[in-house]
Amino acid sequence: MHETSTDDTTDFGYERVRKEEKAGRVREVFDSVASRYDLMNDLMSGGMHRLWKRFTIELSSVRPGQTVLDIAGGTGDLAAKFSQRVGPDGHVILADINAAMLSVGRDRLIDKGALNNISVSQADAQFLPYADNSIDCITIAFGLRNVTDKALALRSMHRVLKPGGRLLVLEFSKPTSPLLSQVYDAYSFSALPFMGKLITNDADSYRYLAESIRKHPDQETLLDMVEDAGFVDCKYHNMTGGIVAIHRGVKG
Amino acid sequence: MQHDPAIIAGVTLAIEAAINEAISLSLGTREALSQKAGICIAIHCSSPEVNVYFFVSDSGSISLQNYSESETTVSLSGSWRDFQAVAAADDAAGALVNSNITVTGDTAALIEIQQIVSDMDIDWEAPLVASLGHVAGHQLANALRGFWRWRTDSHERLTRQVSEFIIEEGRLSPSKHEIDAFLGDVDDIVLKVDRLESRIKRLQRQLKPASELS
Repeated sequence: MHETSTDDTTDFGYERVRKEEKAGRVREVFDSVASRYDLMNDLMSGGMHRLWKRFTIELSSVRPGQTVLDIAGGTGDLAAKFSQRVGPDGHVILADINAAMLSVGRDRLIDKGALNNISVSQADAQFLPYADNSIDCITIAFGLRNVTDKALALRSMHRVLKPGGRLLVLEFSKPTSPLLSQVYDAYSFSALPFMGKLITNDADSYRYLAESIRKHPDQETLLDMVEDAGFVDCKYHNMTGGIVAIHRGVKG
Repeated sequence: MQHDPAIIAGVTLAIEAAINEAISLSLGTREALSQKAGICIAIHCSSPEVNVYFFVSDSGSISLQNYSESETTVSLSGSWRDFQAVAAADDAAGALVNSNITVTGDTAALIEIQQIVSDMDIDWEAPLVASLGHVAGHQLANALRGFWRWRTDSHERLTRQVSEFIIEEGRLSPSKHEIDAFLGDVDDIVLKVDRLESRIKRLQRQLKPASELS
């Protein structure tokens, strides 16, 4: 079941909101957690998000001189790694719809001295402001589920990718084991908001994160959506028992 | 069986950190490795199914990956048991030649990296001094060095004595010299038999009438 509905409403966690409202509601969530986003990611995933991202970078097979677009790049951890890979002749675009997240990311990259080949861009994944066939690789890590119209965003990504360019979508998904699923549910809806309350004083934002993960398409559905957007050679890899999956598609 | 990429990535990350820490503690190793920048050694383990790619960077550090589409300089394929046997062998190069591991690509690169690794002289005192201070760190390093020397000497002595007992006192096995001499004799006989066989064939050809040969 694809997320795009015939009416003018869409999911915001377990709520239904008007499509034009979702971006604003998501922005409020990320404005609230931006300054401690990486710390929370480390705590919530037990550091696993670094391994998930490491494998994403390996799958990208990015080479020196290439152009990489990291959508919903937030605090810039993937962009910093790609910056080393593409080298001085390459280019990395750190894009995010949320100004607060971008600001944190840009400051971090400046602190790391990694801005030489990185540009920072506030952009909506549904309407990417880049030329057709201009990007070698697009990554979107833990961002697609917050996009209002995922199919539109995937088509936009397909448009800007060069032929042969690849898309990598790293996103929470559905655990493959029922037992793990139960443990994961208990963790997401109890521990996660509690940790959010402790660290960012904002339990609601983290409750939204848990709900949005449940409303996100499962592995097979997202694979269909990537194929529907025009990508070929599509496949996915489950990680940590399917809690996270990485989908890959190539522009033919 | 396909393993969880996140778990494999975690193990790989830990190994990568340990290798680079060892390189940073060995004077000259980083410089030697930087001369080999661009080399990629792929290890394809079939059982369990794991792929590891070792990349030598310009700075002389090693980065490990579990997935790569880059061209590899040399690839080694085999089972975990095969790789374990080679790693545990005193003569790794000899063990590799005699193992079931398949090597494809530029083996010279493998030998060069193996030489750099065997030349590594890790200064374990540096991290101990950094964390415990000059006095305690130096004392502990001395104690560890003494223990390591004692362990190495003991191992060599024990191996030699056991070997002497088996060969000289128990006469349970021939000595290496006797085996070498025996193998030399066997080689001689093989050569002589080959020569004899070729001479017999030549004589047979000479005895046959010309009509049979045409």
